[in-house]
Amino acid sequence: MNINKSNPLTLHPLTKWMKKKKWSWFQHQIETFQHVRSGSDVVVFAPTGAGKTLTGFINPIDDLIKSKKYKGLHTLYISPLKSLANDIVRNLEKPIKDLDLNISFQVRTGDTTPYKKQKQKQKPPNILITTPESLALLNSYENAKEFFHNLKYIIIDEIHTFLDNKRADLLSLNIERLQTFSPNLQRIGLSATLKNKQDAKKWLCRKKPKIVSYENSVLPKIKILESKERIPWSGHMATYSINEIYKEIMQSKLTIIFVNTRAQAEYMFKNLWLINKKKLKIAVHHGSLEKNLRLKVENNLSKGLVDCVVATSSLELGLDYGDVEKIIQVGAPKGINRLLQRVGRSNHNLNTPSKAILVPTNRFEFIEAKAAIEEIKKNNLDKIDLKEGSFDVVAQHIFATACAGQFEINDLYKEIIKAYPYKKLKLNDFKQLINLIQDGGYVLKNYDQFKRIFQLRENKNIYKLVNRRETRKYRMNVGTIIENPMLKIKLGTRTLGNVEEVFIQNLSQGDSFIFAGQILEFQSMKNNLVQVKRSKSLISKIPSYSGGRMPLSTNLANSVRALLAKSNMWDFYPEQITEWLKRQKNISKIPKKDEYLVEQFPRKKNFYTVIYTFAGWHANQTLGFLLLRGFKELNYKPLGFVANDYAIVLWSLKEVKEIKTILNLGLLDEHLDNYLEETSIVKRLFRDNAIISCLIERRLPGMEKTGKQVLFSSDLIYTVLKKNEPDHILLKSSYEDAKKNMIDYDRLREILKKIDKKIILKKLTSISPLAVPIILEINRENLSKKETDEYILEDLENEILKEANVLSIN
Amino acid sequence: MYYQLINFGNEEFHAYPDKSLYWKRLNTLIVSDLHIGKSISYAKNKQFLPPYDTKEILNKIFVSLDKIKPSNLIIVGDLLHDVFSILSLKDQDHKNLSQYMKNTDFIWIKGNHDKNIQIEGFKNFTNYKIDKLLFTHIPIETSLFQICGHYHPKVKISHRGKTIFKTCFIHNEKIFILPSFGILTGGLDIHSKQISDVLGKNNLSIYPVGLDKVYKL
Repeated sequence: MNINKSNPLTLHPLTKWMKKKKWSWFQHQIETFQHVRSGSDVVVFAPTGAGKTLTGFINPIDDLIKSKKYKGLHTLYISPLKSLANDIVRNLEKPIKDLDLNISFQVRTGDTTPYKKQKQKQKPPNILITTPESLALLNSYENAKEFFHNLKYIIIDEIHTFLDNKRADLLSLNIERLQTFSPNLQRIGLSATLKNKQDAKKWLCRKKPKIVSYENSVLPKIKILESKERIPWSGHMATYSINEIYKEIMQSKLTIIFVNTRAQAEYMFKNLWLINKKKLKIAVHHGSLEKNLRLKVENNLSKGLVDCVVATSSLELGLDYGDVEKIIQVGAPKGINRLLQRVGRSNHNLNTPSKAILVPTNRFEFIEAKAAIEEIKKNNLDKIDLKEGSFDVVAQHIFATACAGQFEINDLYKEIIKAYPYKKLKLNDFKQLINLIQDGGYVLKNYDQFKRIFQLRENKNIYKLVNRRETRKYRMNVGTIIENPMLKIKLGTRTLGNVEEVFIQNLSQGDSFIFAGQILEFQSMKNNLVQVKRSKSLISKIPSYSGGRMPLSTNLANSVRALLAKSNMWDFYPEQITEWLKRQKNISKIPKKDEYLVEQFPRKKNFYTVIYTFAGWHANQTLGFLLLRGFKELNYKPLGFVANDYAIVLWSLKEVKEIKTILNLGLLDEHLDNYLEETSIVKRLFRDNAIISCLIERRLPGMEKTGKQVLFSSDLIYTVLKKNEPDHILLKSSYEDAKKNMIDYDRLREILKKIDKKIILKKLTSISPLAVPIILEINRENLSKKETDEYILEDLENEILKEANVLSIN
Repeated sequence: MYYQLINFGNEEFHAYPDKSLYWKRLNTLIVSDLHIGKSISYAKNKQFLPPYDTKEILNKIFVSLDKIKPSNLIIVGDLLHDVFSILSLKDQDHKNLSQYMKNTDFIWIKGNHDKNIQIEGFKNFTNYKIDKLLFTHIPIETSLFQICGHYHPKVKISHRGKTIFKTCFIHNEKIFILPSFGILTGGLDIHSKQISDVLGKNNLSIYPVGLDKVYKL
């Protein structure tokens, strides 16, 4: 494509191979090569299909060939997924074998056999492909320094997935460790296109930082499903359009249907199966399915042996499925980056556009889908916010360091604050984390004789592990991903996957549920195994999984608000949507893009307040709770609230008169602590913190301790600690986590800072059209547990619509 | 303090939300499975739980003694978690204990966790009989009514689609099991094999312990 006459890659060993394949180098590959050769750390931004993997290896292969028979480990390649690591090996194998290059390469993940791992330690390959967790483990071995001291390059694949989570913290600390072992180490990051490229650069690069970027000029073709059916007011299952979705699958060679939750995946699969008259091969794929079931689907997908796969984010990253022709996104896109990542799973060819169809499951989602398409046209991506490093990950890292050998605390501290997430880590906090690993770090010194690490008598700054046996405990606890207690589902002797323990506890013998695309009947539970048999029941539950709820991105939210206000666009929408918005305009108001509409109306015997914040679910959930407290204080007698991505509704016995004076920053400052306390958000996060920091042990398969007991004892620890030592570093850490992740503190703060001047208050005599979706959610939430019967919902829906006087819209 | 009235073995007992049981006729307070020093015993395996459990358990029992002023305190086993637990008893704790012993007779029945441990000033027994009642850590073959501990019973309650676990007092016609009085002690489902083997599955009276009230199922 971009053949440059003075191409510095002309003499590169891979060029010959590329020519044979009739390929040529991309400009960004040439640039990367030059920058890295002149000693820069580089982040490369390129879409899938632009030879990203190869880009990372250009310099390492060049250097390895030049230095001939290189001894020891030369290049480390970090992949976010085990399955991706295997794929990289296959991609690397082709040129190296074809050219008969004298370069050794291997993969090392949690799936690698102990025998192979041992061999790798004795005789490392030139190139090792691994994951952040396996890297952390390698760094905890006594010979880590010798193992890595010749390392020249580290390549971080899909670096955009590593910027805003605890895994990123862990990886950043381990990269700095490698840099200490091998000061000449160069860093290469490979990323999907990102809005804040500079942030990714700051996170990774140290030496002469450079950005290389390839912008794809071919835009994906995305449209919204044209449906003859009416789009429902509320809900998240695209039942209304199932026949049209099926038609779309029939029309393409291979389709991936992306949904937002594992429950939706099961539900969608079941519904497609019910209407599968053409006997299409349809499969389901999500993170809780047993590994070999997932691998089977992935294999069939890459060989083109299926017609359609219903998947969650589990298929967002990963293998190159060349034959995928169409992507169907069911439900809200939630964010631009996420949608682009999903859309990019079809047609891995740079010159042909990816094809995608969006299926909104309710009316707000229609606007959201429309907005997302607009933003993608403008190439307006979401920003990924870098996070400040978490304390618990540092604690785990200190433990790992001690496993590798004795260490000097000042040296370790200096190394840690070189990592971008920990630039601001205070020495005092660091010392508390040392104490945490030493003996729990409690003020009451009861454990002097039981320490895990101790100070040398001759030099108090040097710490050493008391007992080598402790290394085993570290290795069992490594990593930052903590799942809720799960139980294995067994159909006969076959394992189907994992379901949360909480879900099973709510089942009685004979209850049926849908999992792995089958209707199953709960029989018994023994030794943490859930025995099931096939069932023909028509009424069945679907397991849901907590956590991982993606809130609407700020970027997309702003776009939704702007689009909503553009009334000249309305006529291009389906009639029912147009009517919905027009009627809203007449009865109440459509807020301008920087306005916050608040509607108040009586309904049945209660008084309703709806606030359209478009702040995303987390922030709205928090705001709902804070307002509940505020209303209580002003004696409005609030009864409850429901939040979604767009709005909050509160209902109370008395009329809320002073919404403007209560909606401000004071609300946040006054009631936030209560919120964290009463909803046990911090308590839940404390469990993760206690496990990641190795204060308590992680449950592993085959251990007698069940997840329930871990959960239970971490709650007890939390309660005792909170009462006796509220300043403990792990409580502080859990509180920070809550602020960052669960309650969207910063986003809410931003909104509350400016909201009071932008409130548009509408006092209505009855419910407004815009409020119908969220009012319906109230009833759905209360109903869903007992009744999933669609008739009842429809009946209820009609009743509310009549009330809103909008029934004629349909 | 609110209590729940429980009839067992033709006697009347009061169950308190702090997980103690009071036998009014003989002015006797009964507790079980305190597991004092559990944290320190975990610490020797490098599991560093907050070292405040001993202090809290003792405070809890002292508060109860102050309020009720019983003539007897019966501990139905597992007062201590293990031999290391003594390390968590400070001089002041020993002083306080002997102060209370002046007015209350401490009857320490040995459990599986503390059978080989002695504390100065404590009388200990393998089991203890009063009238038709036998106090023992683990139930034995007998025609007497038995009051025991050991199992840390917990009951699963499902209501309106939600499931919770609650510590509970539980008995059948002949055997009564107390909940654990400890702070960092977990629990065992009353439908587990271990408890079913002792109590059977039918005719159980179950009293879940709430925040400030003991309920009756």
